[in-house]
Amino acid sequence: MTALTGLGGTLHLVAFTLGVALAATLLILPPGIALGWALARPSWRGRSAVEALVSLPLVLPPTAVGLGLLLLLGAHGPVGGPLRRLFGIEIAFTWKAVVVATGVVAFPLLVRSVRAALEEVDPRLLGVSRTLGRGPFATFLAVHLPLAWRGVLAGVVLAFARALGEFGATILVAGNIPGRTQTLALAIFQRVQVGRDREAMVLAGLSALIAFLLLLAVEWLTRRRERRLER
Amino acid sequence: MTGSLGGEGRAGAAAGPAGTETITGPEPVIRLDLELPLDRFVLRVAAELGGAAAILGPSGAGKTALLESIAGLRPARGRVEVGGQVLQDTALQDTARGDGGRGRSLAPERRRLGYVPQEGALFPHLSVRSNLLFGRRRSERRSAAVMAELATVVAALDLEPLLDRAPRNLSGGERRRVALGRALLARPRLLLLDEPTTGLDPERARKALGRVRQVRRELGVPLLVVTHRPEEAAALADQVVVLEEGQVREAGPVREVLVRRFRGQGAEAETLVEARVVEHRDAGGVTRVRLADGAGRADGAVGAERGVEMSIPWTPDLEVGASVLLAVGAGEVLVASVRPVGLSARNLVEVEVDALTRVGEAWLVQAGPWLAHLTPEAVRELGVVVGGRVWMVVKTHAWRVVAG
Repeated sequence: MTALTGLGGTLHLVAFTLGVALAATLLILPPGIALGWALARPSWRGRSAVEALVSLPLVLPPTAVGLGLLLLLGAHGPVGGPLRRLFGIEIAFTWKAVVVATGVVAFPLLVRSVRAALEEVDPRLLGVSRTLGRGPFATFLAVHLPLAWRGVLAGVVLAFARALGEFGATILVAGNIPGRTQTLALAIFQRVQVGRDREAMVLAGLSALIAFLLLLAVEWLTRRRERRLER
Repeated sequence: MTGSLGGEGRAGAAAGPAGTETITGPEPVIRLDLELPLDRFVLRVAAELGGAAAILGPSGAGKTALLESIAGLRPARGRVEVGGQVLQDTALQDTARGDGGRGRSLAPERRRLGYVPQEGALFPHLSVRSNLLFGRRRSERRSAAVMAELATVVAALDLEPLLDRAPRNLSGGERRRVALGRALLARPRLLLLDEPTTGLDPERARKALGRVRQVRRELGVPLLVVTHRPEEAAALADQVVVLEEGQVREAGPVREVLVRRFRGQGAEAETLVEARVVEHRDAGGVTRVRLADGAGRADGAVGAERGVEMSIPWTPDLEVGASVLLAVGAGEVLVASVRPVGLSARNLVEVEVDALTRVGEAWLVQAGPWLAHLTPEAVRELGVVVGGRVWMVVKTHAWRVVAG
């Protein structure tokens, strides 16, 4: 505990928070892009249902999401149980649980941004690519993604920012263990609880600064996109 | 220019004197029997077409949708066959919707059709060169064969100065040329052109059509063009299908169909004739052309005028020997019962009247490809009758070069 105070402790905290957020973002990137692509495709049966399901973590209380994850990933849960028995992997109350919780909560933001970015691309270009001999996947890589990359990247940054600030789901499935599962958001809560308000304020300021820089990046990416579309 | 595209092209098709060029080998045939649901109606098209065909119809007739269906980009039911290859064969009137019914349907990437959408649809993130080579595998792009094909297409479409530019810096005409080249370089069985001159001014449209005609002659690629302009159909196609309200109204050889349709129109009807450039008389301010043999029908409707020469407005960028398509409105053609003398108009032709049609208050005289709009009084006084002979007179500046 003592090592976790002062400048060194704060730096460790920030590094851990950025690390799990990055891991969570990378983890959800492939399924997020795939799902965003599927949802951007012309109407198919069940699309609305999938869309609603994906967006659920956006509107559910994060604690409810966390509880669901805990039941799933806990030592006796349907996923956590087998993982523990077969591979000896523990998820709940470890850094892995932080990654999963923040990833799940950030997932809808990524999917929705990816979908919107992909939908902006002129479908005629995708059709022409197909007639020129490129299959659906090759067309996605050669035309669709290159033309939508700004929007996709904006979605990635947004998801990363959301992952950084995640609190409710994380505390349920990963606890608030200093040095093991404590992120910036959890640390602020814990400092306030024990009356170290000054420290809490410093951490809150730090969070605000990081979040502000990230949102600035998102703005810049989407602005550039709008300007390009206007001309 | 000589050159060929792959093994199927024809090296250096003869560009000899008027009417002597021939396209060797059997022309691929397009067979369509399609049914596609659109917003307001179900489009039904059944047609057998030669290697140069047009689909003519007003906007909203579903022409673009039809091209997309042929390309495999829009679900439709029925059969598509190009050059003996069945690209799609699904049951008509199948109850399944949206999936094109049951049966075989090749994915767009396996149909090898050179789709050129309106305004080109170039990939904005790629250079002109990369756009052109998009249809070729990365691994083969540097091969000598592909480089030679690129050189052929670049020369035919005059693309050299554009190669390293970005699509957003190109004019409308340039974009279309690149899109055409991109489609050609993918070695298509058939080119699908969607309104190739929309948004171009008349001069650019003329050059664009001239370019497509030249490419078709030199590279021998079959094409299917959709358009709302009759003269565009005449410039590019031998056969035409007329679409109206979701149905095929008429189909057949392009000139016959157009003349038949024009008969029902008044002064907007147009005489469309093929010609070759003979010379530019710079001092005279005219370009001389020789009308193609049988500018009308082969049965001699204009037999007497074979090889007749005419003056058109001075158009120095037309090459001597080049083939051009000319148009003149029916309202701008004078009719005389005897050979006129002492007249400023240089363009006289004696023809036999094929048909006289009442259009509103006026009459339309048709003789082979020639159409003239006359008042009832003029018809009476000149004694115009079907089978009789009259002189058609066209002012030099009444001619428009549609393609060349």
